[in-house]
Amino acid sequence: MKFDNFWLVVIFLGLGTFLIRYSFFYLSDKVKISERAKRSLTFIPCAIFPALLAPMVFFHEGSNAVLLNKERLVAFLIATYICYKSKNILVTIISGLAILYGLTQI
Amino acid sequence: MKKRTVFLTGLKAMLPILPGVIPFGLIMGTAASNAGLNIFETMGMNIIVLAGAAQLVTVDLLTKNVDSLVIVFTGLVINIRMVLYSAAFSPLFEQSNILTKTVASYMLTDQSYAVSIANEGLYNKRNDKIVFYFGGAITMVLCWHFSVVLGLVFGNFAPSSISLDFAVPLSFMALTIPTIKNRPALLVSILSAVLSILFYGLPYNLGLVLAAGIGIAFGTILTENLTRRSYEI
Repeated sequence: MKFDNFWLVVIFLGLGTFLIRYSFFYLSDKVKISERAKRSLTFIPCAIFPALLAPMVFFHEGSNAVLLNKERLVAFLIATYICYKSKNILVTIISGLAILYGLTQI
Repeated sequence: MKKRTVFLTGLKAMLPILPGVIPFGLIMGTAASNAGLNIFETMGMNIIVLAGAAQLVTVDLLTKNVDSLVIVFTGLVINIRMVLYSAAFSPLFEQSNILTKTVASYMLTDQSYAVSIANEGLYNKRNDKIVFYFGGAITMVLCWHFSVVLGLVFGNFAPSSISLDFAVPLSFMALTIPTIKNRPALLVSILSAVLSILFYGLPYNLGLVLAAGIGIAFGTILTENLTRRSYEI
């Protein structure tokens, strides 16, 4: 065993994560969710996913000096436009990877 | 509607997301292998935690000999966003038995949540929506385990000139676009993205939670005096 507390960390992290996931499944029949709370629920995906991905894209240091090493940011913005137009996830991912490949080859 | 058909529809809805899951799994498997974890430890963690981002950070912190308590806390902060998914899903599972609730919540991931939300209008019946969710969620979980094992055994085998890890943010973006249905939602997504960059240096990855929290509060306040119809784009 390489790490002393490996299983302890895994079990507590797993248990805590499960409780997080189960939290509202347990609470739902005990508390009434207000209209206002329901409205804020609709903003969850458009708040959490951008916050999750923005640092991944923004802070990445690439190799294209012309684009100040921010070719991922450029490729990402173009792919966002493609996604908006095509509404197709697979097309978006493949074209995003292709654009990035192109930008790193220049 | 036949259960089997609905389940398969859920499975098929998950398929286009998998190019964003597989690189993530490969990275996770490679990181576990580099950290010296064996297949039992890696799969044990995969099954018990089932949360890619938190697992990746955990492995990283383990190799840096960070205190165990800090590792668990950091992982939980990363996963606290799932409270929101739990809240969003709870009305759907209100009438389900405890076993269904347990399995459904265990499989709650960014992808399974997003695929369900993106296809919200597909079915009217509660039961169909639940079966659809399981079709997507089970596909996601199996793909995750499979790709982590691949990464553990073979390493990240894609040529390095193709930056496969870039598929991860791309897949999150592709999942977000369909949920931006009106102007407040657009403003919320831009605000959250900018804040997450500004808060990036905060300890324990608190920036993510803070940025999303402020974004959601902003959207709620913004739509306070508007009826649903008046803020459609």
